[in-house]
Amino acid sequence: MLLNRARAFILILALGALLPHAVVSQTPAVDPSDSFFDDTVLHDVRLAINGRDLESLHVNFLSNEYYPVNFAWRDKSMPGVGIRSRGTGSRSGVKPGLRIDFDRYATDQKFLGLKSVIFRNQTQDPSHLRERLAMLFFRRMGLKAERQAHARLFFNNNYAGLYTIVESVDKIFLKKNFGEDTSNLYEFAFDNSVGHVPFIFKYLGSDANLYVPVPFKPETKETDTQPQYIERLIWTIDQAGDAAWRQSIAEYLDLPKFIRHLAIESFLAEEDGITGDYGPNNFYFYRYENKSLFQFIPWDKSNTFWEAPSPNYFILRNVEDGPVDHRNRLVQRALKYPDLWTLFLDTLEECANSASAGATTGANPQPGWLSSEVQREYLQIRDAALADTLIFTNAQFEQAVADIKAFAAGRSDAVKAQVATYRARGPLP
Amino acid sequence: MLIRLLLAAWLCVIAAPGQAADVQNDQPTAEAAKPGKNAKPKDQSKPKKQKKPKSNVPAPDEPINPEEQIEPTVAEPSGGGWRFSWKQHPSIRYGSVFRLDGQAKFQEDGHSTYEGAVDVPGWELHRNRIGISGYLSKKIEYEIERELTEKELTDKDILAGVTEASHWKDVNVNLTFVKNAQVQIGKFKVPFGLDQLTGVTHNDFIYRSLGASYLAPARDIGAMVHGRFFKRGLNYWAGFFQHDGDNARSKKIQGGDETFAARVTGMPFRKIASGSVAAIEVGSSFAISALSDDSFRPNGLRGRTVVSQDTFAEPVYVKGRRRRWEADADWASGPIAARTEYTWVSDDRLGQGLGDENLPDARARSWYVSGVWVVTAEDKTRPLKAASEFLQGGWGAVEVVARLERLWYDSAGPSTGVAFRNPRAETILPTGDRVVTVGANWILNRFTKLQINVIREHLEDADRNPVTNGGALWSRIVRLQFVL
Repeated sequence: MLLNRARAFILILALGALLPHAVVSQTPAVDPSDSFFDDTVLHDVRLAINGRDLESLHVNFLSNEYYPVNFAWRDKSMPGVGIRSRGTGSRSGVKPGLRIDFDRYATDQKFLGLKSVIFRNQTQDPSHLRERLAMLFFRRMGLKAERQAHARLFFNNNYAGLYTIVESVDKIFLKKNFGEDTSNLYEFAFDNSVGHVPFIFKYLGSDANLYVPVPFKPETKETDTQPQYIERLIWTIDQAGDAAWRQSIAEYLDLPKFIRHLAIESFLAEEDGITGDYGPNNFYFYRYENKSLFQFIPWDKSNTFWEAPSPNYFILRNVEDGPVDHRNRLVQRALKYPDLWTLFLDTLEECANSASAGATTGANPQPGWLSSEVQREYLQIRDAALADTLIFTNAQFEQAVADIKAFAAGRSDAVKAQVATYRARGPLP
Repeated sequence: MLIRLLLAAWLCVIAAPGQAADVQNDQPTAEAAKPGKNAKPKDQSKPKKQKKPKSNVPAPDEPINPEEQIEPTVAEPSGGGWRFSWKQHPSIRYGSVFRLDGQAKFQEDGHSTYEGAVDVPGWELHRNRIGISGYLSKKIEYEIERELTEKELTDKDILAGVTEASHWKDVNVNLTFVKNAQVQIGKFKVPFGLDQLTGVTHNDFIYRSLGASYLAPARDIGAMVHGRFFKRGLNYWAGFFQHDGDNARSKKIQGGDETFAARVTGMPFRKIASGSVAAIEVGSSFAISALSDDSFRPNGLRGRTVVSQDTFAEPVYVKGRRRRWEADADWASGPIAARTEYTWVSDDRLGQGLGDENLPDARARSWYVSGVWVVTAEDKTRPLKAASEFLQGGWGAVEVVARLERLWYDSAGPSTGVAFRNPRAETILPTGDRVVTVGANWILNRFTKLQINVIREHLEDADRNPVTNGGALWSRIVRLQFVL
């Protein structure tokens, strides 16, 4: 009897020790910043800024000078936050794009767990929708991408325009999405402006400084940039022999994951991405801890939905056409392999199906997921966009949204048709 | 470069030119303000241990009191006409109405600081200055000095709004028609601060105190009247300047505008005491400058660490007036000397709040205490002269030095809220740097000096400490100085 009681006691103790563990492991981690990126609402963000600084922010928009502000969102406010003008092609003195650094003046200061956030001014997108739609679609397809939401921005309680809140790709993003944050993160920051030869992952030589800090700009570990891994990666992409290429590249890249990224960009008609018109562009690059393996992270998708309202953007743009010196060497070599070629086309079809999911025809036709999302976001931002005429007129906004709607309605069928054509033809020669 | 400098030093030792006397124009520096170090009252307690330099030829960087005639050891050629001589400096003269001296200052530094410090060169030619000085008819003195190592701006710098640092150092004339009211015009040091006004080659330490480097104005363009009374028992300088000195400016900081500055020094105990006490010289300086917010960048003063130049006090937005005040004391007795200085700076912040409201003044303060002991027992002078030069029958002169200092920033007035680091904070979070420097100087000869300093810094705001564990910053510096 006593022995049984003892056994029961030990059993209860053991279960008791396990129970909290099980409960904890089943509870999803709550990210305090989720509410800030809640895309079911249009946010209001208010910045209190000195009048001289506000003037300077507009006049000296090419400068990266920081200005101190008080940041307020809902019932939360934070003093001593730094903002600065940002962007390359989107830099504007009329409607400055903003980088907001919560830790600019205090290393440990965070807002809802965030060290910084981007306020994209969408000066290149009259619809205000492309970036947010594209990143949402990346996440819908299972890839890691920045969270986004729309916000009305106020300077000293004066409306300053409709902005897209973009999650920063930083250590916090890395930890949240990849479970680690201690290795090297780079932003691909090559000058692809007219007159410059694009960097197409072509081997430039054994000097690692040819790759870091340009075009691979260190974003973490700035004093320990480890450029030799980049040099080896580029050598492998461009120089490794065909026989050993797949095996060699596997050390540096998860090719199936990369092909998936490529296919999503292609479906979204990304004109300034990995196979962009100006050479490869708009991605971050992360090397996993203690490995040679790199990870592409999408960035700045404001040039997606290109050629809208036409849904016929070529799925092999700058792969089979376009200037030869703009064609990405990694893509060129990868798509020669039948299995990767098939994966590329399969993923495009998967994108098409996902975008059109829920669509019905007949007497009461229902739009697919992408069309529904365009309409939802449009209704959410419409009033704020119409009140913001700093860059685009109301007519330009409405037309751009109409174009996106047309693209969304026809893109799945257009892609499927192109996929069928190229599936029959086979991989890149 | 180091080897070249050493070779040049040896050559100068071997081929040291004539020992004739020379007379040089007065210099608007701290040591020139003194009534001649040689004339200073000496500590009578240990006269037997004091050594005198065998040569009375002044060192190339030694200021000379024009009123004091140095006894020549070699007869000068008499009469007028052009002639060349090399005594204190290589010199071209025409009779007694024109003189042009060539000067050069080279300082090669070797640095070692904390691991991970950015942009700290191992070895660098820290100063590479050449210049000329002299007089016209002995009533018009002139000086021109240019730094040759200032870096040119790149296109990227210019695009980033970086402004060029001046290559010109001292470019001025000094009119001595009225001895007690000389007029100096051009670019020269704003009369503020004992340590800042001590010549760069005369310093007991490799680097000036932080207060002298970041709070005192340094050089600017202006006009100044200066003079002395009671056999240099009382000295004064007062002038107007275009801005508030090079130290208030940087590549990104505009600095103050119109500035008035004045300085007074004196030896108040000379008539009432004897011995060591009589040797105490005290001074005080005041400066007031206009401050604009024309630049979109903060225009306040900044604070940086000694060697690694890490910024521990970022400039804040200021507008209105900048007021500086300083007090100092300088004492030397035989082979021992000591200095102390306190500096206070206050900047208005009119309309600089986030709501364009006025903010409490931004404030910066500094102090230091330093001491020197000439181990080889020569009288402490600046520059120190060896009784027996190295390889000229002796080992030169050796002195050991130590300095304790602090530079710190905050805002004035009662604290009304939480302190922040941002440049428009109502209450500025206090931040500072406490520094201990110890070192030794070996004066090989009148041209060459070798200095070694070990510096320990402790930043008061851990968030701005570049050392990850928040510990102290240790630095070691060696400098070989060669003057001509």
